[in-house]
Amino acid sequence: MATVEERVKAVTAQVLKLNVDEIKNEDNFTSDLGAESVQSIELVAMFEEEFGIEMDEDAALSVETVGAAVEFIANVCKEQGVKVEE
Amino acid sequence: MRLVLVDRCEEARGKFYPLALSRPLWELRCGFGSLRDKLIGKTGAQDVAYFVPDYMADAYRAEVSGAVNDFSALTGDDLLILDGRLKAETFDIACSGPSEVGVETGGGVVYARITRNNAAMLDCRDIDGFIASAKAKLTNVPCALAKWQYTWDLILANPEQLRADFAAAGRSGIEGAIDEPKAILGSSKDVYIAPGARVHPMVVIDAEHGPVYIDQGAQIHPFSRIEGPCYIGRDSILLGAKCREGNSIGPMCRVGGEVEESIIHGHSNKYHDGFLGHAYVGEWVNLGALTTNSDLKNDYSTVSVVLDGHNAIDTGSTKVGSLIGDHTKTSIGTLLNTGSYVGAMAIIMATGKPLPKYIPSFSWFIEGVVTKGFGRKKLYETARTAMSRRRCKWTEAQEAMWEAIFEITAPQRKEALAKGRKEMMARH
Repeated sequence: MATVEERVKAVTAQVLKLNVDEIKNEDNFTSDLGAESVQSIELVAMFEEEFGIEMDEDAALSVETVGAAVEFIANVCKEQGVKVEE
Repeated sequence: MRLVLVDRCEEARGKFYPLALSRPLWELRCGFGSLRDKLIGKTGAQDVAYFVPDYMADAYRAEVSGAVNDFSALTGDDLLILDGRLKAETFDIACSGPSEVGVETGGGVVYARITRNNAAMLDCRDIDGFIASAKAKLTNVPCALAKWQYTWDLILANPEQLRADFAAAGRSGIEGAIDEPKAILGSSKDVYIAPGARVHPMVVIDAEHGPVYIDQGAQIHPFSRIEGPCYIGRDSILLGAKCREGNSIGPMCRVGGEVEESIIHGHSNKYHDGFLGHAYVGEWVNLGALTTNSDLKNDYSTVSVVLDGHNAIDTGSTKVGSLIGDHTKTSIGTLLNTGSYVGAMAIIMATGKPLPKYIPSFSWFIEGVVTKGFGRKKLYETARTAMSRRRCKWTEAQEAMWEAIFEITAPQRKEALAKGRKEMMARH
């Protein structure tokens, strides 16, 4: 199974129409990857679907970088009892 | 005599969603005012107490002068307890007299007239127990009084109610200002322009088929056409509107475009072009430019409405538009299907296609699917801003009520969100 980081990057690449290899953990979704507000909402929805989790939208939308998203999602998975590859 | 209005039946309330999510049923409007106004007018009550769902009690208490969910209101006076869905115009029970409980065929209590002495003998720890105790201990009489069943009943009854309310108000003539050139079609006794209201030049008031009542402070801008029967509420503004027959608007609304046989609660805006027909719009709603609803199907068959996210209810009418909950906002170019349900606190971004017929409360409808959007806190912020622009305050009690509504409406929203995520995934 792919790791949380790999899955987060794959979803990000899909939504923002980017090459997955170009996405780095320190990338900011908005300023580096060009996510517009509607795409941020899409990203939250797609992460929820990918991992089978429910995220608080305020907390999720305050996450700024890819690396922070990986950490945030890993924690939510743990809280909600969803098994993932670290 | 103390009038006690009761609205505690969840199943009955659901038939008036999304409007009843944030108000008791008697605060729904038909004709000139609310159902509460009509019940109070019919019974002549001076003292009124209310029993509403617990989650809205604090918010409602701030809006009315009578007691809300206060059990002490069940003692100390003769009582007339009414189901909040009763139609005032058909209520023909004597307000005073010996105790009796009106029971409908299914066993439900429609009204209870209880003397002060009898009330003292009943269980008054809660309103439901009190009514059950009255039914068990006092004389029961069969009762078939008419009740409102669904929101669209109000829409469809609105033209006749407007006529009746105009006659009951007993006012006609021009007490406000009307600028030349003016055009009043029909009899001027079927038109009333209240003090402080102003009708600008080039406005047509057509009272040939029903009366037109323009309430205090309302402004009718040039090139508006108002067909009776119609009620324009206090301080509302019509901006070149094609105001067809059967509308109840206001107070404090801004209305443009074409509106027909619709009820719009206070502080809602439909500034721009676009058609709204046979619709019921809540409070603090903003309909973006060119927002349009269908109210008639292409095959002229009866319109169905989905109130719970699953089951379509046949309205029995060929004309039903949209039901739109409080604080909902639509973007420019929104297209609403015939018999649409748009929940409260929803944000709609148009896609160019007609929307799904059911959009749950607190939805952010974006890119053709229901999402969580920027969440409910952002919606509250927007509500606070919108209300402050009209010098109204978003209170802690209101926020607590909306938090409860968020939970009440969660099951339908969760289903729509899951469907939305799947659609989004498939698209990518």
